[in-house]
Amino acid sequence: MSRIIERVRQALGVRAGDGRDRLVFAKSEDFARCANTTATAEERDGWMESIRKEAKALNLRVHECPDLDVCGEAVAALARERDPEWGTLKQIMRWSDPILDGLGLEGRLAGDIAVKTVPVADSFTQTERQAFRDEVVASYIGVTTADHLLADTASLALLGGRGRARSVSLVPSIHIAVVPASRMVGSYRRLLALLDARDLPSNLTLITGPSKTADIEATLVHGAHGPREMHLFIVGS
Amino acid sequence: MAAKAVQDEQLHKALGKLRDKFGRNAVNLYHQLSPGHDPRQDAKAVRRKVVDNLDVVLETLAANIRARGGHVHLAETGEDAVEYCLGVAKRHEVARVVKGKSMLSEEIHLNDALEAAGIETVETDLGEYIVQLKGEAPSHIIAPAIHYTRDQVGELFAEKLGEPYTDDPPTLTAMARKALREKMLTADMGISGGNTACAETGHVTIVSNEGNIRMATTMPKVHVVLLGIEKIAATLEDHDILLRMLTRAAAGQKISTYVSYVGGPRLDEEPDGPEEFHLVLVDNGRSRILADPDFREVLHCVRCGGCLNVCPVYMSIGGHSYGSPYCGPIGAVFTPLTRGINDCHHLCQGETLCGACKQVCPVDNDLPRMLSLLRFKLADGDRRWNVKPQSRIAKLVFGAWSVVMRHRGAYNVLTTLARFGQVLLPRKNGWISRLPGPLGGWTRGRDFPPLAKESFARRWARRDTTRRDA
Repeated sequence: MSRIIERVRQALGVRAGDGRDRLVFAKSEDFARCANTTATAEERDGWMESIRKEAKALNLRVHECPDLDVCGEAVAALARERDPEWGTLKQIMRWSDPILDGLGLEGRLAGDIAVKTVPVADSFTQTERQAFRDEVVASYIGVTTADHLLADTASLALLGGRGRARSVSLVPSIHIAVVPASRMVGSYRRLLALLDARDLPSNLTLITGPSKTADIEATLVHGAHGPREMHLFIVGS
Repeated sequence: MAAKAVQDEQLHKALGKLRDKFGRNAVNLYHQLSPGHDPRQDAKAVRRKVVDNLDVVLETLAANIRARGGHVHLAETGEDAVEYCLGVAKRHEVARVVKGKSMLSEEIHLNDALEAAGIETVETDLGEYIVQLKGEAPSHIIAPAIHYTRDQVGELFAEKLGEPYTDDPPTLTAMARKALREKMLTADMGISGGNTACAETGHVTIVSNEGNIRMATTMPKVHVVLLGIEKIAATLEDHDILLRMLTRAAAGQKISTYVSYVGGPRLDEEPDGPEEFHLVLVDNGRSRILADPDFREVLHCVRCGGCLNVCPVYMSIGGHSYGSPYCGPIGAVFTPLTRGINDCHHLCQGETLCGACKQVCPVDNDLPRMLSLLRFKLADGDRRWNVKPQSRIAKLVFGAWSVVMRHRGAYNVLTTLARFGQVLLPRKNGWISRLPGPLGGWTRGRDFPPLAKESFARRWARRDTTRRDA
C-alpha cells in the first residue's frame, strides 16, 4: 500500500501532510448552499414537464396520482394486466416503506397476486438471505420508492438500507417506483449536494428508465439484464 | 491485421454507425450543456486536480472504504492484481465469476488466469459476451462487439446457444438476457471495473445501461472492483461535471440508465448485497507516466471511447489492429507508454495527427501533442523511457531534407533533378505507384503524387501582375 503511495509522491515531487487535502476536497460555496435552497413554484412546474419529456425518450411510463389510494389502485390494475416473464407465478416484492404500506396492495390483490415485503431485521441468517433471494427471483414486479427524483433526467436516487433491498429494483422484469412529488429535485448538481450533506450507505443507485443496450449494431433495445419495463408513479403535487 | 482490416467493407459499415450515432453527436451535446462555454475545461480541471494530488486522493479513498468494512489492495503490477483476485476467489471456493465490463481486466489478462485456475468466467455485458463467445478481445472501449453485424451475431447465437437463427437485435438481446440471467444469479463472485470513484465519500462509481453491472455487484456474495489508480474523483461535487461529460462523450446520453455508487459490503440489516467488497487499485505503469510532466495529461482520460468514434484511422482499421485493449488515439499514446515505445512504435506512428480526438475529448486531452512527442522520442532516442533511435537512415534522410528545405538553391537543384528523374517511374492514374530504393516503403500501401511540370516558384515569378487588383 504505502509503497505505491510513496512512488506516486515521488513521481509528483510532493510530500505527505503538506496541506494539499484542503485544496483537493474544497467545495464551492454555491454547492454547499444549493442543498438548502427551496425551489419556486415556477421551477417545480418546469420539473414535471421535464420528467414527462425525458421519460418518453427513455421508454419510462410516468403516472401522476393525486394520492396513495388512487396510486394503489393503478398499481394493482397494472399488476393484474401484466404477465410474468419467467414462469407463471404472479408475485410482487416490495420495499418495506411507509409510502408503499399506504398503497394497500396486499388488500387490493388478496387471493389474486401474492405481495411480499422485504423483511426487516437487525441481521439475517444465511438461510433467511437465501429465502429472500428466491422470493425476489420469483417476483415479476418489484415495487420501491426513491429518496429523490431528479427532474432534469427523470432519474431516481435509491439509497440502500434497512428494508430497502437492492435486488427489488433490479431482478424482477417490471420495476414500479412510487415517489411523492415533494421529493423532486431540479438538477444533478443539487442532487449531489443533498447526498453530500448526509451520511451515505455503501450502496446508492441512480436509475433512469428500464435497462437497455445498443451493443448490436448500435441499435437501441430495451430490456437487457435489468427490468425491461419501468413505471414511475408520482404522488401528490 | 491492419492491412486486412482496411479492405473489410463489413467492418467499415459497422463502424460507420458508431461514427454517425455517437461521434458527431458528442460535440453538439457539450455545447447544449453550457452554451458559450467549453465544459470540457471544467472536466479537465477536475481531472487535473486529482492526478496532480493523486497520493492524497488515493489515501482518502482507501481509508473511507476500509472504514465501511471494505478491503483495499494497491497492486503494483498486473500480475499482482491478478494474484490478489485469484486469492479472494480461492478463499471463497468460487466456481463461477460474472464480470461487468472492465478494460483494466483485459489489460492485466484476468480472464485467462481465472479460467486457468478452473473458474468459469462469464462476461455479462452483451457486447463483451458476444466477443467472449467468439473467443476474441473487445474492439472498442465501450462497444466491444461493434465490429459485428446483426446477422453475424445471429449466426453466433444459433451456433453457441442453440437458438433459432434471427438477425433481429431485440430477439438476440432477449436470448442473451435469458442465458446470462441464470449465470448472474448463480455466480459466487462478481468482478467489475469502475468509471470513477469518490474519494471523500468512499465509493466507486460505475455506469451501465444494461443492468449487468448491478447484477454482478449485487447478487454474488463477493464483489471485486478493479480500478486504475488514476481514475478517481475527489468529491461528489466533482462528479457533477465529470459524469455528465462521460455519458455524453461515451454514448450521447445525458445520464446512463444506472449509476451505481458502491463502497463496501452490505450491512447486517440489509437482506441482500455482497458480504465482502474488495477494491483493487492497479498501478501497472501509471505512476511512471505520472512522473513525466510531458505525458501526465494522458492520465486525465476517463475511458469514454469518444476519440475512437471520430478517428479516421480507427474507422479504417478497427479496434483489433491495435493489438491492445486500449485502441484508437488514446491507445496509441497509452499503450506505448506502458508496453514500451519501441515495441509499439507503429501505434503512435500510424495516427494522422488530424486533431479530431482532441476536439471530441471530454477532458480536452491533447493526444496529438503526445503522439508527436512519442515520435520525437523514436527519432532521437530517449533515456528516461529507454527508447532507442528507431532508424539512423531515416534520421539522416530527414536531417538532409531539413537542410535542403532551408536552402533555396539546393532545393531547386534537387526538385529539378527529381522532375527529370520521375519520368522513369511507373505510374497509375497519373500517380507514381512505386518509388525506387529505400523510398519504396512509402508506396507499398499508397501512391505518390508526381511533381508538377512547372514549379510553383516559377509560375509565381511569371504571374500576371495586372490581375492582382482586379
